[in-house]
Amino acid sequence: MKQTVFRYFALYLSFLSHNLKNEMIYRANFLIDICIDIFFMGVNVIFFKILYGNIETVGGWNFHQTLILVGSVGIVREMAYLTFRKGFLELGEYVRTGNFDVMLTSPVATSAHLAFRHVSLTESFGEGVMGIILVGYGFAHLDAASWIGIPFYILMLLNSLVIYYGFCLLVNSLVFWLVKSQELNTVVYYFMNTARFPREIYHGLGKGLFTFIIPSSLIATTPAAILVGRAETDIIFLSIGVAISFLTIGLLFWNWSIHFYSSASS
Amino acid sequence: MRSCMPAIDVKNLTKTFKIHQKETGLKGSLKALFWRETIFKEAVKSASFSILEGELVGFLGPNGAGKTTLLKMLSGILYPTSGQVSVLGYTPWDRNRDYQRQFAIVMGQKNQLWWDLPPSESFLLNRDIYGINPNVFQRTIDEMVDLLDLKELLNIPVRQLSLGQRMKCELVASLLHQPRVLFLDEPTIGLDVISQEKIRSFIQEYNRLKKTTVLLTSHYMQDVEQLCKRVLVINHGGIVYDGALSALSERYVDHKVIKIRFSSAQDANPPSTLESVVEWDASHAVLKVQKKEVARITHQLLGQYAIDDLSVEEVEIEEVIRRIFEEQPPQT
Amino acid sequence: MQKYWTVFQVNWQNALQYRGPTFVSILGNLLHISVLLYLWNAIYSGGQQLGNYKLSDLITYYVLQLMINSMVLSYISWDLGNQINDGTFSNFLVKPLNPLYYWFVINLSGKLFEGLMILVVGGILSSLLINHISIPSNGTTLLYFMLSLILGGILAFEFDFAVGILAFWLVKIHSFKYMLQYGMFFLAGALLPLDLFPEGFQKLANMLPFRFLIYFPIQVFLEKEAQPIEGFLIATVWIVVIYILLQFGLRRGIKHYEAVGT
Repeated sequence: MKQTVFRYFALYLSFLSHNLKNEMIYRANFLIDICIDIFFMGVNVIFFKILYGNIETVGGWNFHQTLILVGSVGIVREMAYLTFRKGFLELGEYVRTGNFDVMLTSPVATSAHLAFRHVSLTESFGEGVMGIILVGYGFAHLDAASWIGIPFYILMLLNSLVIYYGFCLLVNSLVFWLVKSQELNTVVYYFMNTARFPREIYHGLGKGLFTFIIPSSLIATTPAAILVGRAETDIIFLSIGVAISFLTIGLLFWNWSIHFYSSASS
Repeated sequence: MRSCMPAIDVKNLTKTFKIHQKETGLKGSLKALFWRETIFKEAVKSASFSILEGELVGFLGPNGAGKTTLLKMLSGILYPTSGQVSVLGYTPWDRNRDYQRQFAIVMGQKNQLWWDLPPSESFLLNRDIYGINPNVFQRTIDEMVDLLDLKELLNIPVRQLSLGQRMKCELVASLLHQPRVLFLDEPTIGLDVISQEKIRSFIQEYNRLKKTTVLLTSHYMQDVEQLCKRVLVINHGGIVYDGALSALSERYVDHKVIKIRFSSAQDANPPSTLESVVEWDASHAVLKVQKKEVARITHQLLGQYAIDDLSVEEVEIEEVIRRIFEEQPPQT
Repeated sequence: MQKYWTVFQVNWQNALQYRGPTFVSILGNLLHISVLLYLWNAIYSGGQQLGNYKLSDLITYYVLQLMINSMVLSYISWDLGNQINDGTFSNFLVKPLNPLYYWFVINLSGKLFEGLMILVVGGILSSLLINHISIPSNGTTLLYFMLSLILGGILAFEFDFAVGILAFWLVKIHSFKYMLQYGMFFLAGALLPLDLFPEGFQKLANMLPFRFLIYFPIQVFLEKEAQPIEGFLIATVWIVVIYILLQFGLRRGIKHYEAVGT
């Protein structure tokens, strides 16, 4: 077990360094990508600025607290680009061209090989930095900031990353039937995009739906709630439970779905 | 002991693909919005064969015969519809990590090398993926760079390499972990004659040195003629011949070719008493003759005409293969 | 004309192959909209209000936005850009096909296809929310609404085509395209109705043509638009002006394309 973890970590580093070398060739894109990231985050902030120009709170969260939510989503997305996201975005391409074959014949778990194939430091870099700035800005404007919460905040961000990966696996497993993955990743995109709204807006059926089926309500709200000082132990344990379940079910479903891969023949 | 055991053992392997039918025209399209007809196509039909360790076996068959599908099942890329396969004692589609470390598949039309980086980088990545000991890794690379004459290419980005150079690097990348079984799918496709020849002799040499079991498919008859003593002919998903390449014509062709050069000018029209004339003019003639008739007709010709030179030849192997494919109608 | 009709049918066939993905993408949009519906509901049930929108107006706004996204908004720039980048665009230079009309037909058949599917989804959604949505009081409104959708669809295509042909001058512009598209949709009122924006922003958005894609049709439907006829005229003028600019840009682009070679 320990050996396996070590091996996959070394493999991850190897893929990361290869991708970095690759990205250096197109380093001009890096600056453009940062500008684009800042633009997207900016639009998100403007959205809430306008919203809070008309109202006071959303589900009990004020403007500065909401910025922590928005920033947390940015950080989780950057972490995802660093660990798995890009490979899934390119999955449809791999399946259509048959390059997915290599992932099936190499002695590495397919779910990990795909994740590591295109780990990118630069892709979402601007979003990550903007995320940290927004969280910092929001944190500085809190009435009661809790510094002790920071390590737990980081731990729960990692937990959200696991939820994100599990969900990504689950949705992208459908690629073996649909062949295209672009639309599947639209779903994943909206999943993360709507994660910046506080969990408190949901009630009844929606609460269950956005917790257990599409667990977007936990991604940002759980870590942010710790920083804001309104986290209850229930939601923390719930998030951890959901992360474990999604990872398990995601991996099982993924490994089963591979049966239906019909490799492109030319 | 080990050499007596089959490295690859295939029993009744079948793979069926689902294909959606659609009607043309707008009406058909509207209908298809809600309902599509599905048909099944058997890409591989109940194939059985076994291959000994160290053998170099060729797969022959026209496009779409099922060769690639078969190799993909042996690699664990595709799951079969039914049947059993054992390669080195493993069932390929279990995708056991130990199995994956002992075989390699190279497909001529796909590449696993990183497009913008030099091949040496892709080699390093494969070292880590397969967990190859650094010393062994270096030794293997040196050896193969020597065999394939690659030294100057190692640090040039793949996108700047020619197709032939890329294929060589592709082979190296796949052989780094020293597989015991190697599947080659059209390794020479699209290459120029010289590159083809180089790849061919490399495969031959590698098989001889390492005793690696090699299964190869190719369009080019020459690949198979030069490399493989034994061939499997596959058509419409089924294996129609398994045996020595040289014995193929005995089994499938019932005639030989007689070529004659006349010593003096002849009537340009063939005599009506001779059947199966392919060519006939004043100075030479070619006849296709049933094997059992060869002696009689040769005798007759020698008696009737003044002949400078007469030869009896086997039909060319490509012709044999073409005949097999033409004579085997799809069985449904 | 016949050739474009054939293009229409062929693309329809192609869309059929991908009805699964189309359905999935509708699901994605549905996911987005339902979260927003929960958001408004939470805000309104706390006694707060956005501008002069009743909750039912807002719900209607976003349900319509969902349908407009599938029926009106154009997404051909991705494929068009790829064609230009990988050189398949050369087909237009050797065949008697006008790329502008070709892609218009492609877009039209795609939108009709997606429109059929979204009508089913939107219908189900509306019937579930029937007590919470605003319905037009008369037939004229519906007629105006249809007209505004058609104008919006043409404009949306023109903008998308313009984004696509940027590929003549820029390579690897996918994320840049996303940015332009996102900005455009934001100014079209996709995220928030434009009259909730601060004053200055509102003036800007009203001057730009993007509001005709989403905001304007929905305002017509909600009977909040004071001068629909005037809007139709302005939209038509924009369509003509941008058409002329596109022809010009296309010609320049092709010249550039031929000079560079792919």
